[in-house]
Amino acid sequence: MLQGGLRGALNQSVLEASGPQAAKVEKLWWFAFTTAAIVYLLTMAALWWAAHRARRRELRGERLDEAYAEPRMTRGVTWATAATLVILLLFLGTDLLVGRTLSPIPKKQPLTIELTGHQWWWEVAYADSSAHGRFTTANEIHIPVGEPVLFLLQSPDVIHSFWVPNLAGKKDLIPGYTQSVWFQADTAGLYRGQCAEFCGLQHAKMALQVVAEPRTKYEEWATNQQKPAANATDPVSSRGREVFLTGTCVMCHAIEGTSAGSHAGPDLTHLASRRTIAAGTLPNTRGALAGWIVDPQRIKPGTRMPPNQLKPQDLDALLTYLQSLK
Amino acid sequence: MARCGPEASYCRRQALTFVTGMRLVVVLSVLPLAAACTREGKPEPPREAAAAALPASAGPRASVALDAEDGQWAMPMKSYSGIRYSQLTEITPANAKNLKAAWTFSTSVMRGHEEPPIVVNNTMYVLTPYPNILYALDLTLPGAPKKWQYEPKPQSEAQGVACCDVVNRGPSFADGKIVFNTLDDHVVAVDANTGKEVWKTKVGDINIGETMTMAPLVVKGKVLVGNSGGELGVRGWLKALDLASGKLLWTAYSTGPDSDVKIGSRFKAYYPKDRGKDLGETTWQGEQWKIGGGNVWGWLTYDPQANLVYYGTANPGPWNPDQRPGDNKWTSAIIARDPDTGEAVWAYQQTPHDLHDYDGVNESVLLDVPWKGQTRKALIHPDRNGYVYLMDRMTGELLSAEPFGYITTSRRVNLSNGSLEEVPDKKPEVGKVVRMICPASPGTKDWQPSSFSPRTGLLYIPHQNLCEDEEGVEANYIAGTPYVGMNVRMYAGPGGHRGELTAWDPIAGRPAWKITEKFPVWSGTVVTAGDVVFYGTMDGWFKAVDARNGAPLWQYKVGSGIIGQPITYRGPDGKQYVAVMSGVGGWAGAIVAGGLDPQDSTAALGFAAAMKDLPDATQKGGTLYVFSLP
Amino acid sequence: MSVTNRRGSARRRLATGAGVIVLLSLLSACDREQRRFRENPPSASPSNVRVSALQPGTVVDTTHVAGPYDNNAWAVSEGQRLFGWYNCSGCHANGGGGMGPPLMDDTWIYGSGPEQIYNTIVQGRPNGMPSFAGKIPTPQVWMLVAYVRSLSAQNASGARTSRSDHMMMYPGSGSLQDPAKPQQSFHPPASEMP
Repeated sequence: MLQGGLRGALNQSVLEASGPQAAKVEKLWWFAFTTAAIVYLLTMAALWWAAHRARRRELRGERLDEAYAEPRMTRGVTWATAATLVILLLFLGTDLLVGRTLSPIPKKQPLTIELTGHQWWWEVAYADSSAHGRFTTANEIHIPVGEPVLFLLQSPDVIHSFWVPNLAGKKDLIPGYTQSVWFQADTAGLYRGQCAEFCGLQHAKMALQVVAEPRTKYEEWATNQQKPAANATDPVSSRGREVFLTGTCVMCHAIEGTSAGSHAGPDLTHLASRRTIAAGTLPNTRGALAGWIVDPQRIKPGTRMPPNQLKPQDLDALLTYLQSLK
Repeated sequence: MARCGPEASYCRRQALTFVTGMRLVVVLSVLPLAAACTREGKPEPPREAAAAALPASAGPRASVALDAEDGQWAMPMKSYSGIRYSQLTEITPANAKNLKAAWTFSTSVMRGHEEPPIVVNNTMYVLTPYPNILYALDLTLPGAPKKWQYEPKPQSEAQGVACCDVVNRGPSFADGKIVFNTLDDHVVAVDANTGKEVWKTKVGDINIGETMTMAPLVVKGKVLVGNSGGELGVRGWLKALDLASGKLLWTAYSTGPDSDVKIGSRFKAYYPKDRGKDLGETTWQGEQWKIGGGNVWGWLTYDPQANLVYYGTANPGPWNPDQRPGDNKWTSAIIARDPDTGEAVWAYQQTPHDLHDYDGVNESVLLDVPWKGQTRKALIHPDRNGYVYLMDRMTGELLSAEPFGYITTSRRVNLSNGSLEEVPDKKPEVGKVVRMICPASPGTKDWQPSSFSPRTGLLYIPHQNLCEDEEGVEANYIAGTPYVGMNVRMYAGPGGHRGELTAWDPIAGRPAWKITEKFPVWSGTVVTAGDVVFYGTMDGWFKAVDARNGAPLWQYKVGSGIIGQPITYRGPDGKQYVAVMSGVGGWAGAIVAGGLDPQDSTAALGFAAAMKDLPDATQKGGTLYVFSLP
Repeated sequence: MSVTNRRGSARRRLATGAGVIVLLSLLSACDREQRRFRENPPSASPSNVRVSALQPGTVVDTTHVAGPYDNNAWAVSEGQRLFGWYNCSGCHANGGGGMGPPLMDDTWIYGSGPEQIYNTIVQGRPNGMPSFAGKIPTPQVWMLVAYVRSLSAQNASGARTSRSDHMMMYPGSGSLQDPAKPQQSFHPPASEMP
């Protein structure tokens, strides 16, 4: 199922960084972990030593209250405050430095992708220098390897969060506000991401895929996505197209090149070119597609798509048509 | 904090440590806030029309070559130049106060009457809004009885896809036939004497949201018509039909590749921003031009010497601009075409990538102006975006573009490159409410046509003074349903009055005088050689004012608000008559014509909010009024 | 019995009573908050729906069939979402009307009963209401019916959607929808339908 030349889908993990952003996040994670571990061990040691010393004093019969004389208390408080401040400053400094390195946009004009988070799928619009070159797809993002990509994040409904752990940290999609995040994939591969901010009933099944591929392959993919849908030539596909246009599908879905232009649901112009459907919930196979069309509520209860009762021949024709939309 | 007691030194040291620590925390927590502060942009100073100058100056005047006055009114504009000027002189500022109602006629339809009656061969023809009944009235008999009526019986479902009331802007007379459009996309030719249908051609489809409301223009045996539907994702076009047979001769689309827009070897855009190949396709994302709007529902004018037809195209669809990136050519543009073949000779897009429904369909009145020592063949076009454009009608070059209302959405029109310098703060976005957008979506002036008097040299512009708040929403294209994507709420502009009649000096580029009205002046104007201007108000006053200085002369209260185009003609008895339709409606009067509920401020695309007091001021109606001196 | 004991048992009774009241009130919210994602079979289409109140001969009882979602808050809010998605708001605005008549006042050309509104949506009407049969699934039509009725305050107040005030200059200044009491319409008594 995966194209040759790509690594298999990586373990979706912060600790397997494949890009400079994720690498910095990983480094920060290890730094925090190490520092915390050291501080923890020191604290445990100090605690053990204090308890041990008290026990020894007790055994020796000294009065314990004499041990808590004022000068020692002040010194202790001063040391603790100083140590805390130093560590705080260290963390602040590191945070600022990491923040600075994560946020700036590289000087040359990066590929810009407008990502809009809906309940519960991702709308991906590729901005182009000319209006005509723009196109829209859903749930699957292709980027060229080794080049910085700028994401503009928007949401029309609730707060979502864009998280592809292998490539970058989380960034929220906040209604009424456009956020930006940039990242870069250094290795070709298939990366899984998901929504990282609870956004409703199917937040758990709101995944996406980022495919990082060589520039030439990316151009090929982008050129294909700019084209309108392939014309339905054979009778079964034509019938499927008719089913699509005369039934409930046109109320929510768009297929460029037909009269279907509704943006309520994902754009289906090149549905057959995607690896998964339903925001990464199901593989893009005929059977899964059939199950999804007929009863999406069984797979993702509460999702916006209603069940559709179709006659068997109509469903068959519709599936043939949808699978022809490469 | 407790004060330090007997063990003072220790306590004080504790307190000191605490205080230092707190100060450090405060300082550290304030640092990120400093970084988060943004600099607020300075608000743009709004544009306003220059203060009114002295009444009609003795300076240079625009002129028009006038046809001989025959006392008729054969098409809504009266003449191809669009000046709506009558050379009849019986009614003057001295005697206008004596005007009396001569007779009236009920159309039996109670929707918005935007049309004028037309008068040819002592017969008056009245075309109603849907169901588009055409009446012929015999002016030679007392009381002008009905000769015949013709009912095209348009499909009733067409009412559901008409954006702004089921209006019709009038019929035209040509070669013994009365030609008009029906709401359900038919062009009809009826014999002017007998009322029998000569031909009826279907040119559009209501199932994609297409309707027709404009008045056709007949030029050299061709009937030129355009469609409506920019609010339903309908692709705009201008079609020519043969006057004798009704056969379709050519179609010029407003969007799409050059072959569809009929941009060929003769085409030369004056400004570089309008030059390029297939701009009607490349300035849209993907295939959005197919549902892009650019309809032709406004006024067409014609220059017989240059053999050019001038018209404007409407707004791009949807209203939500983020869904259609690019300049969106050729919407909100002025186009000049050769009527024989339909090919475009020049075009100028006054509002690229329109943000506020600033259609470009307003009239382009043809004048000759003395400009910087030369006489230029010009056109004057008061646009929705708030500027009066004075342009060379042979090439599309801008001579001047001055504001005639209060504008916050743009700073100016740059005459060197033709661009509209917009204010970025006023761009609507999904989920964000942008306030004080002036002019509001109906523009500083909507469809209501102006008139020009060669005697005073002034253009009499009826218009409105409205501002609005806009909030973008995602629009879904479902064929035959609205494709808008905007919540709008309108209200009166500065001054609190919602309507104005401006007497505009085309050469000076500023008003000579203005009259303010409570409601938008949604009716047309007519001006006579007797120096009287007639117009109507939405609360039902038909008014006459002095064309030289705006002094009120006479007014008459009719049964329902006036949104129609007044005309004047010579009756069979030699007297001068003035006629106007009364019957409120249209987009501005939808709250009355449609019985809308003003609790919802977004009703009627936001207009209901600005017209909450209209139902108290007028009722629905449908009556023709004719006035004359006793 | 000592004073303390009496007070103790009184407190216990009070606590039990309060607990019962809380439980009962929770139960009343059940129908309002139910989310019925998979209607199997989907809510049926009504039959024998009258649009006119005139019946020759003896009048048959004309009590309206209750809409299945009228008092279900989730369904009414889904109806609000679909009202915008399917472009109902393009003609009817947010209840005030425009190309189509207002839905938040008290004038109903084709009837205000749930089954009558259902039929208006599914069948369409000759003066411009499109027919959505085959385009909107039946349960969603019922959700739209429930939402439309909520615009003129014809369902339980707890199940109505919240007001959209964001266009207003300040909260409550003529909000988009305020169905505390349906507005008296401006229609003159005589019908104007041709």
